[in-house]
Formats: sequence, structure tokens, C-alpha cells
Amino acid sequence: MTLQAERVVDGRFMEPPQPFVATMEMLDTLQPGEEMQLLLYREPHPLYRVLQQNGHGWRTELQDDGTFVVTIRC
Amino acid sequence: MQALLSYDQSPPLSAPLRFFLTAPLFLVLAGTLAVLEGEALFASRWTPAALAATHLVTAGFMLQIMVGALIQILPVLAGANLARPRLIAGIVHPGLALGALTLAFGFLQSAPGWLHAAGVLLGASLAVFIGAAGLAIFRVPSTSPSIRGLKLSVIALAVTAASGLFMLLALAGGWAVPLMPLADLHAAWGLGGWAGILLAAVAYVVVPMFQLTPGYPAKPAWRFPLLLMAALLLWSLAWAVSAEILQRLAQAALAVGGLLFVGQTMKLQAARRRARPDSTFRYWQGALYASLLALLMLLASAVHPPLAGVPAWMGVFGVLILLAGLSAFIIGMLYKIVPFLLWLHLQPLARPGKPVPPMNKLLADKDGLGQWRLYLAALLLAVAAAIRPDWLAVPAGLCLMATAGWLWWNLAVGARNYRRARLAAVSA
Repeated sequence: MTLQAERVVDGRFMEPPQPFVATMEMLDTLQPGEEMQLLLYREPHPLYRVLQQNGHGWRTELQDDGTFVVTIRC
Repeated sequence: MQALLSYDQSPPLSAPLRFFLTAPLFLVLAGTLAVLEGEALFASRWTPAALAATHLVTAGFMLQIMVGALIQILPVLAGANLARPRLIAGIVHPGLALGALTLAFGFLQSAPGWLHAAGVLLGASLAVFIGAAGLAIFRVPSTSPSIRGLKLSVIALAVTAASGLFMLLALAGGWAVPLMPLADLHAAWGLGGWAGILLAAVAYVVVPMFQLTPGYPAKPAWRFPLLLMAALLLWSLAWAVSAEILQRLAQAALAVGGLLFVGQTMKLQAARRRARPDSTFRYWQGALYASLLALLMLLASAVHPPLAGVPAWMGVFGVLILLAGLSAFIIGMLYKIVPFLLWLHLQPLARPGKPVPPMNKLLADKDGLGQWRLYLAALLLAVAAAIRPDWLAVPAGLCLMATAGWLWWNLAVGARNYRRARLAAVSA
């Protein structure tokens, strides 16, 4: 399931580290318990570490077209 | 941003860089061998010179860069951290470099003592690397096709190393065992399993990321590493029971799997959003076309084995798969990975109003493009030399020496620029 566009960072055609930066900036605007999504063509392991250190939860789903949908809970 | 980047658990810069800086010198040596040995290098794949040159490219150049790159990218691709990367690199790097040199010399001189020494050096250093990388990667779940590929490629490296070690002992000890079928199996595991599956595992991430293409469709990406592994297991079974038809079937499956991957990557590249072709794109484009030809040759000789006996067939195939295919993929990736790493390791030194130099200032892409053009000339000459070695082996060797030296120079200049930027930032 994809969230509303304003809660989604589509990083699929962005150069690194732009998806990482955009995700951290969007997370800053969310209230605790709210969710956002990051779309990428790879699993963002370095981001996972930061999310873990900052106490955020996440789940990842790989779609048929190769998009990893990372749903992050603030 | 810098605070966030500091979370990155990137291994120390020296861990991968030391591999990258010595590997091109082995390509220079392979070119030197072509100059010194000339025609003899292309006479047969079993001549001492051909065996030495092949292993200067595979064990000296490709293996070193692939090991250095894996130490760097395991955390990024798989979230798997290699324990004590500096120590591992400090043991594995000299072992591989000396081992590859000793191996080439042992082949060239047909000297059992040197072959024994090469077996000890390569066997020990690869055991350390496979142990460390295996511990890191098999602890993480296979949540992506890349992780599955990384795991299978490490297994393939172990099989390649074990079969190579056995053949070295057999050669050095004069054991009466038929080595040619085992050498084919060793090459299949090394090129199809270790290099091929690893290439795909890395490509799934870096092709969309660096070339701004769509992603690899998930289902084929999951299945490709398994298909190659199944083909290699079938080839091993064929070797064990001496069944030629099974070996041909496995060879055909390996070729078809490779062709599907190459075709998919070409399709993605055609849809890329980065308009300007950079050195990485050029290298990958060339490598894809060369791999296409090489895999068609592999398929053709599986269907009709006498083709492999056609003069120059194996020479052309070897140049296409090793130099024009796999090595070119590797160099293309180096031109992205090295400037990014240099930039990343300078980031902690950035201050407000004093950013660190951009990646293109650390390692200029125009230098990579120039080096690529000379590499392309070396490849064309090397393919032609496989057909007319009496005329072209020496020019091809000279051209390979020049372009590999230029590659080394570009990487060394990048490292020098990094040191200068670091000194300037620290003393500011």
C-alpha cells in the first residue's frame, strides 16, 4: 500500500545521498506514530542503521518492478 | 548531513583502497607478458605464458578488486559488517598480491616450488577472506536478490579456490590426474559463479543507483543467481561422472542465464535518465556488448563442441570474457566507487563555508573517459591478436600496459588529491 504523495519520498531516480537526506527531512516533519514511505530500487541498509539508532520502526516490501517500499514509523 | 553521514559504518579507506591501487599493476604485467612472449601467449590456453597471463588478469586484477570492493560494500549492500576490516585487508591483500605474482611466475617457469608457494599464499589469504565474508553475510537474512547473490558468490569463490588449490598441488606434485576437465570446471565456478553472480548482485544495486535506470524486475533478479548455481552444480556432476552431454547442458544453461542478465541490463541502460555518458557508462556499455558476444560463443560451442577447436576461438573468447567483459565491468565500477569513497572519508572534515572538494575534483571523469578510449583500443588489438598473434601480440600488449598504467595513475592521483584535501582541511 502506498501512502498519500505528501508522505512519500520517491528516491528511485535520485542520486545518493539525496534519498537519505529527503527521508530524514520528511521524518522531522512527522508526529510520533505517523508513517512515511521511501521508494528505492535498492534496500537502504545505511538508512536502516540510522532509523534503528533513532528509535524508528520500519518494514520493507519488494515489488515486482524492483521497487523497495520502505514504510517508516516516526 | 555530516552528522548523519558519520553514522555510516564504512570500513577505513585503506581497507579497500590498497586492493584497488595494486590491482591495475597486474594488468600492466599481463600486457608485459604479451610483449615478451608474443605469439606464444595465444598459441593455446594451456601454454605456460597463457596460464600466467590468464591468472595475472583473474587472480591478480579481478580477484583483488572484487575482494577489496566486497570489504567496502557488504555493509551497504547487505547490512553485513565484516569484523575488523583493516586487519582482514592487512592479511588478505599482501597474500593475494604475492600469491598472484608467485602463481604467474610458477606457471611461466613451470616451477613446482613456486606453484606450491602460490597455493599456500592464495589458499591461506582466501581462507581468511572467505571465513570473514562468510561470517558477515550468512548472518543476515536474504531480504533482497543482492544478498542471495552475495551469499552464493562467496560459496562459488570457495569452490573456485579449492579446485584451483587441488590443481596446483597436482601440477606441483606431478599427480596423474586429468586436469583439463577440472580446469574448465574451475573456470566455470570462478567466472560464472564468483565473478558472474557477484557482478549481478552488485549490478542490481549500482546500475539503477549510478546510471539512474529503472530497477531490475524482482522475480528474474531472485532467480538468476539460483539458475547460475544450478548450472554450476550440474557441471560439477558432469565432471564427477564424466558425462559430456551434461557438461554441455550446464554450459548452455550458464550461457543462456548470462545472456538474459546482459539483455536485461542493456534494456535498463536504454531507459537511463542520466543523459551524459560518463566513464562508468562507457565501460559498462562496452562490457555488455563484449559479454553478449562471449556468451553467444559459449552457447555455440555447447551446441557444437568442435567450434572450440577452431583456431583463435578460445583466444577471442578469453579476451572477450576476461578483458572486454568482466574486467571492464569492474573498472567501470571503480570509477564510481573510488571518488565516492574519497569524498565520503573527507566529509567529517567539512566545515561551514569550507566544503570538501566534490567527487569530480578528486578523480576527474574526463581522465576515466580518456583511459577508456585507450582500453577500447587495447581490447580491439587483443581480439585481433588472438587471430593474428604474429603481427599484433606485441602492439596489443603495449596498449594494455599503457591503458592499465593510466588506470593506476588515475586512481593514484585520486588518492593523492584525497591526501592533499585532508591535509588542507586539518591545517585550516
